Amino acid sequence: MTILGEFALWISLPVAAWGMILGYAGGRTQRGDLVLSAERSIYAVFGLLLLASAGVSAAFLGDRFEYWYVASYSNANLELFYKVTGLWAGQRGSLLFWALLLGFFASITVFTNRQKNREFMPYVAGVLQSILLFFIVVLLFADVNPFERLDFTPADGQGLNPQLQNYWMTIHPPTLYLGFTSFTIPFAFAIAALLNGRLDARWIQLTRRWILTSWFFLSVGIVFGMRWAYEELGWGGYWFWDPVENASLLPWLTATAFLHSIQIQENRGMLKVWNMSLVLMTFLLTIFATFLTRSGLIESVHSFAQELKIAYIFLSFMGGVLATCVILIVYRLPQLRSENQIESFLSRESAFLFNNLLLLGAAFSVMWGTMFPLISEGVTGQEISVGPPFFEKVNLPIGIVLLALVGIGPVIAWRRATKRNLQRNFATPVIVGLVTAAGLWIGGARHELALVTWSVSAFVLTIIFTEFWKGTRARARIEGEGYALAFFHLVSRNRRRWGGYIVHVGFVMMCIAFAGAAYNTDNRFNVQPGDVVEVTSPFGHTYQLTYEGLSVSIGRGQRNLLWQAIATVSVAQNGDPKGILTTEKRQYTNRNTQPMTEVGIRSILREDLYLILSALNDTNGALNNQPGAQGIDLQVLIKPLVNWIWIGCFMLAIGTVIALWPSVDRRRLPGGEKTSEREAALAGAD
Amino acid sequence: MKNNGRFMVGLVGVAAVVTYLIWTGVSETMVYYVTPVELMEKVEADPTFHDVGVKVGGRVVPGSYARVEGELLHVFTVHDLVDESATFRVEYRDALPDTFTDEVEVVLEGRLREDGVFEATTLLTKCGSRYEAAPEDLAGAGAEHPSGY
Repeated sequence: MTILGEFALWISLPVAAWGMILGYAGGRTQRGDLVLSAERSIYAVFGLLLLASAGVSAAFLGDRFEYWYVASYSNANLELFYKVTGLWAGQRGSLLFWALLLGFFASITVFTNRQKNREFMPYVAGVLQSILLFFIVVLLFADVNPFERLDFTPADGQGLNPQLQNYWMTIHPPTLYLGFTSFTIPFAFAIAALLNGRLDARWIQLTRRWILTSWFFLSVGIVFGMRWAYEELGWGGYWFWDPVENASLLPWLTATAFLHSIQIQENRGMLKVWNMSLVLMTFLLTIFATFLTRSGLIESVHSFAQELKIAYIFLSFMGGVLATCVILIVYRLPQLRSENQIESFLSRESAFLFNNLLLLGAAFSVMWGTMFPLISEGVTGQEISVGPPFFEKVNLPIGIVLLALVGIGPVIAWRRATKRNLQRNFATPVIVGLVTAAGLWIGGARHELALVTWSVSAFVLTIIFTEFWKGTRARARIEGEGYALAFFHLVSRNRRRWGGYIVHVGFVMMCIAFAGAAYNTDNRFNVQPGDVVEVTSPFGHTYQLTYEGLSVSIGRGQRNLLWQAIATVSVAQNGDPKGILTTEKRQYTNRNTQPMTEVGIRSILREDLYLILSALNDTNGALNNQPGAQGIDLQVLIKPLVNWIWIGCFMLAIGTVIALWPSVDRRRLPGGEKTSEREAALAGAD
Repeated sequence: MKNNGRFMVGLVGVAAVVTYLIWTGVSETMVYYVTPVELMEKVEADPTFHDVGVKVGGRVVPGSYARVEGELLHVFTVHDLVDESATFRVEYRDALPDTFTDEVEVVLEGRLREDGVFEATTLLTKCGSRYEAAPEDLAGAGAEHPSGY
């Protein structure tokens, strides 16, 4: 099976090259047979990549340690689940997995467009095959072939890093990759539009669902990563501003900008060059992130030297794509002229443009901060780095303004906002925001940035709920429906708009949660069994924590566990017993790592109580069950509002799915143009 | 066009603010990333460097780790990756990451005190975040390193 997979990977190389050439040639000559062949070659490449991936998986499941990749990421005792997910555990498999997902999305695109949009499809097929070809070339020639063999067969593999043996870590990378690869489809349509000259909003309409799909997976994938960090890395944070995280945030920022700016092109025929640039930039950043997340480029110059080859291949590919696109855009510049102009500073166009500018500013600062060590070393020879304080200092102000725009953008009028429009929409929300600020101040909140964030959030939520309320009420009155039904119909009639609002509510919830971090508390204790410690929550109540003792189990290597030391802590809140929490140290057999920490979390809507077993006073004594060797270092964190990150993300996901759902909007059906104004009002037309 | 002008002012304003934030952000938060040898040289040349926050990459000297009883204070020695004779003591008051062993490569942030002890405020281990091992080590697989203190 594995041999077959390796063979399939080699075969996919000429097939992809063939498809690429035929795609461009077919588009140029308009010959249907060439185009058909190009499209079919995409199915073929997908099939071959599927075989190759199956080959890698078979090697994992069969413990074929003669393969470098399997030996590096698995061992005989590894749980089956992690053998199955071994395909994307490391760089080599991830690159194959990336190509596989792209092949899958490309096949869907070719299939759904087999009867329509024929003016785009030859070039779309050509572009998709070019990118597939690139990844196949990397896999085969950049020293990252997952089928590479060692010149000896080790008795056992290295095993998987214990920190990666976590549920979230197995779904986080594939989710992100789904986001990265699906963004390739809008990129391919954009290039096809540049090549065939159809430069109106058609390519955007055709790929709107792909853009949203990609955005959905990017957002959820990033939050999965946060969740993993929060549960597994064991210091209670969810975001570290490290290069790998930043790399996944960059395409999200530009994709979010793109998602908003395409609405200006669709509604007002403006920003055509800008949208082309954003789609290009986002695509390049997904490639950059793919490359960076699985290499050590930023971390150390030493690993850069080891990976010089793959770095050069990736950088020249990105450079080539960039140059090609810039030439194409410049060539088409006359046809990309704006059909309208911004009429007023106070208009939706302008709000959307500021949103774009801020998102790009954030992206630029994140990029700058991430690359700063490399840049400074290149320029001055002295490596200088910037840490989380830099990213926070720049991005928190930008984030707060963006948050305000989330409220302003959707209700300010297109073209030119009148005084009446402003008063009607913003008077109440501004008052609610101010009242919130005053209320929080009286309640004892003093942290400025958190106060501002929460007040702005209240302002935005008021605007969004007012919109929902107005729409529902109007519908309930006109149609005589109950409010619940009216609400349901309102949302389903214009899913794109109301789904977007639900996404915004999710985003606001997450911002509220992020600001909660200003009130994190951190206490450390050295405790013996029976000791009671007290910590006070920023909400005012007190937790009494009783350290009950340590239970040690010595494993025999099942699940690669050597031993586990579990500390049990009973929790009481203001004297009321609230159950027990455990936090543990685990020693895995494979690798010469230190024990891993598993944290204990009690999560309620208001806050998380987060316990960390920092260290055992006497590990050997504890393992030998010696009395008096049960003392531990216990770290107790209280993390206000953290839960709202996950709830907000869920909301955001629901909203995106609603916006994605195929619409039954009658106004868009052929012959349905003359819908009554009443119908338009009911759908909540903007 | 008049509105466009005002609009352009707004755009340039936003760009300027972002640039300003990045500029001040970098100058206020940047830390020099040096090797132990470079740090020694810098301190020698300019004693005020004792007060400058730096990031140092080095390797923990095997067997040098000790924990001060009763306190959350870890003490160990770090040497240069290339020149093993360049060493300094490190004091670190926080929980150690799981990936810390007494032979690991570490990146420390803090300052070198006048008495020659490096007071670290953050400690990162280097192999941890890449989650990858060199397959060549497999040739000697089976010999587990002793662990735990």
